[in-house]
Amino acid sequence: MTGPGAWRLPPVASLLAAVLLIAGAEVGGASLVKFRIELSRWARGTILARPAAHGLVGVRDVDERVIDEALVKFDAGLRLFHLHAEGMGLVIIATTMTAATLVRSDPVRRILIALLTVGGVGYPVGYLLWSGLIPYHGVESARAMAEWLIWIPFGGASIVAAWWLVALLGMRLIRRA
Amino acid sequence: MRRPPLAVILVGLFVIALGETAGAVTSQLRPQIAGYAAARIGANPQRHGLAGSAEYDTEVTARTVYAAEAGLSFFHTHAQGLGPLVIFASTVAATVVPWRRARGAVHALLALGGLFPLGYLVYAVAVVERGREAGIGIAERYVLTPLGSAAIVGLLALAVLVAAGRRRGRAA
Repeated sequence: MTGPGAWRLPPVASLLAAVLLIAGAEVGGASLVKFRIELSRWARGTILARPAAHGLVGVRDVDERVIDEALVKFDAGLRLFHLHAEGMGLVIIATTMTAATLVRSDPVRRILIALLTVGGVGYPVGYLLWSGLIPYHGVESARAMAEWLIWIPFGGASIVAAWWLVALLGMRLIRRA
Repeated sequence: MRRPPLAVILVGLFVIALGETAGAVTSQLRPQIAGYAAARIGANPQRHGLAGSAEYDTEVTARTVYAAEAGLSFFHTHAQGLGPLVIFASTVAATVVPWRRARGAVHALLALGGLFPLGYLVYAVAVVERGREAGIGIAERYVLTPLGSAAIVGLLALAVLVAAGRRRGRAA
């Protein structure tokens, strides 16, 4: 159906990005289950090889607590990637489809679709980056890097675009009323 | 695929935007939110059953702050999930349900149900302002249950109507 009351498809690149993100999330979830021990062993080994980055002092009781916390956050980062990537894939499809169909101005529509796609795909990858950086740089440094490199720019893009779209649709609804 | 009414799409998008913003805010302002919640709990000792014993009060406060943070986290995750669900399910209704009134009822139920995540926002505020158990009770009774029921009834009605529409199509 392509009538006036029909949805328009977003660009193929947006759909492909969303589908790949969802596929990545599913692979991530499966890998988490399958390689849980190997991942934990690798992270532990990397942490032990970089005692200064984690503030390890050489006292077993103290160090084990620090390592445990880093491993919990490492695991949480992978889980959050899985969760957010699954969700953001669907959010990208829903929001870009809405923008493609209901935003009349060409340049605005293109900008919105770009922000929604790039922001939506990039944001979950921040959790993967955070998780991967934890064994090398410690929990807080890794978080700061992920925040400034990915979460703030990509998440910000997605949030700005989502509210922009809400505002455009809201105005359209008001005009119609 | 037919698109649903603009108002229904707007509800889905609004909930997605709220969910994304809530995720960013709770991640960036976690210490400030926890501090504010602890201060509000301390300002309402009777509602939270604080006894004046530092050890006990600290535990009660920590549990309530945790519940408030959980409410915000659930708000974020449910909003991100339900926003697209409202848009996709209402698209199915717009495309497949042939009866105008039934389609309108499903759209109304889905739009109402799409606001379900707001119940977790109420939950987060109510546990801090009214006490943990009372706050959860208020959020469940007045927001989560009615809006969640609307979403469930809407989806079940959609399933029934899809099946009925298919049968009608075959008979025709």
